[in-house]
Amino acid sequence: MTETEFTEINPAVPARNVLEALHAVIDPELGLDIVSLGMVYTVAVVDSQVAIEMTLTTPGCPLHGSIEADVRHCLGQVPGVGDISVDLVWDPPWTPDAMSDQAKRSLGFY
Amino acid sequence: MPRLGADGAPPVLPIASLLVGAAALVFAGVLVLLAPGAFTAYLGTPRVVALNHVYTLLFVGLVFVGTLQQLPAVMFVTRLAWPRLGWATLPLFFAGGVAVVVGFFRTFDPAWLAPGAAAVSLAMLAMLVQLVRTAAQRWPKDPGSHALLLSAAFLTLAVLLGFTLASARTTPALAARVGYPVQLHLTVGLFGAFLLGIVGSGQKLLSMFALSKGGPQWRVRCATYAVSAAVLLEALTAFARLRDPGVALALLAVGCFFQAWEVLGILKRRLRKKLEAPIERYVLAHAFLPLAGLALLFGQGGAAAILFLVGFVGLAVSGMLVKILSFLTWTWQFAGAATGGVSGGAPLLRDLVRNELEPLITWGLAVAALALAGATIWRLSVLASVSGAATLLGGAALLLQAGHVVGVTVRAKRRLAAAAAGKLAKAAGVEDAHA
Repeated sequence: MTETEFTEINPAVPARNVLEALHAVIDPELGLDIVSLGMVYTVAVVDSQVAIEMTLTTPGCPLHGSIEADVRHCLGQVPGVGDISVDLVWDPPWTPDAMSDQAKRSLGFY
Repeated sequence: MPRLGADGAPPVLPIASLLVGAAALVFAGVLVLLAPGAFTAYLGTPRVVALNHVYTLLFVGLVFVGTLQQLPAVMFVTRLAWPRLGWATLPLFFAGGVAVVVGFFRTFDPAWLAPGAAAVSLAMLAMLVQLVRTAAQRWPKDPGSHALLLSAAFLTLAVLLGFTLASARTTPALAARVGYPVQLHLTVGLFGAFLLGIVGSGQKLLSMFALSKGGPQWRVRCATYAVSAAVLLEALTAFARLRDPGVALALLAVGCFFQAWEVLGILKRRLRKKLEAPIERYVLAHAFLPLAGLALLFGQGGAAAILFLVGFVGLAVSGMLVKILSFLTWTWQFAGAATGGVSGGAPLLRDLVRNELEPLITWGLAVAALALAGATIWRLSVLASVSGAATLLGGAALLLQAGHVVGVTVRAKRRLAAAAAGKLAKAAGVEDAHA
């Protein structure tokens, strides 16, 4: 599974709490949260600013706009979070190895 | 990054196209039921040709051109050029298609056929220019996108050939000059437009929905080359009086073979083991390719065309229609919504679909194809009636499914928006009380 990288500089909220909040962001097509799917690469918190670097299962995914909006919506509800930036990256590309075992099971891997 | 709705045409355009396309399938079922005997004799009668165009122009054609309003932005990873052009082209395509069908019903009436074919041709030419302009912003390198571009070009060519055929009926000089290229019209439409459209868009969409990563795409390229070469050969046969002992037909079979092989390859490396019902229908559609080939081997050209069009194209298009419509309406309602996505209470895409309707669509259309092919082979009108009833059942289930997808999404958005507005009003009330 993807190990999310954390960066914290004088954080108003712990980066791990930010990642925890991202469990609420569900991929509408797969029905699983983006953390379990291994899409979140880095979480950086500088003061109250939060920067997320994440990917999607496929470039050109038509749901990227709504997933990005959902990330902002969920993080906006975390106390202490101010500015939010979301960067979609394609390197490294997403692979199924990035998923948690539970996510793999629910997609019928085992 | 492109977004459905944001970087394509206004979503209401493709959504309306897809809904009207599903309604046309119901109409096709009614037409078969009204005159089942038409399929037990010569298949070139006005009624059969009219029904053929209900299927090709108003069902498959409308779904195809509706999808072209959004899919290129996703496939080419760019923005659709002139996104509002669809307000003119889609109604023009629909009106022209209706006029063509009426023209055939009125015993090949040129007063309806010529303006109808002209309207469809004009609409397709405009959509092709729009598509090429879109691709030119960021020229795609993958063979799937190339197949999609070519399929749109072939659909334009098919309707232009239809326009030529309609014009030749009233202008003998034209008929004398260009001949009467019906076979070319059929090959370009069925294989150039529909098969390559399914090859191109299906490669991207099936990979996405089945979570099938990587893999070679040379089979897509081979299918595209084979079908394009077949069309070229047919054109030379029609216009340059070239003699073809059957090479074009063999090339079309090769194209179908590579498409089926590509789908198997995608399924083999898929990560999502359980496919959703509409995707299963898309996959099942490919079983009709060898059946159509068998019918052709036994000299049943009419049955082969029915198995290809109603079986393969009908099942594949109806499968993708449900998936594309789900994505379109969901993104239309929830992309960037202040309520959030699923975390804010939006439904999952799979929850938009009524699962009990899916087998009715799949088996309705599959039985419709088999029964109609049987009716033409054994000259049994009872089989044509079975086909009409099955098409009506499958089409009605598809229309209900499409309406349900749109209805449930719009209602969910309204409910969430009302709840959000209520929360805001409550918060404002608390602030007022504090003040």
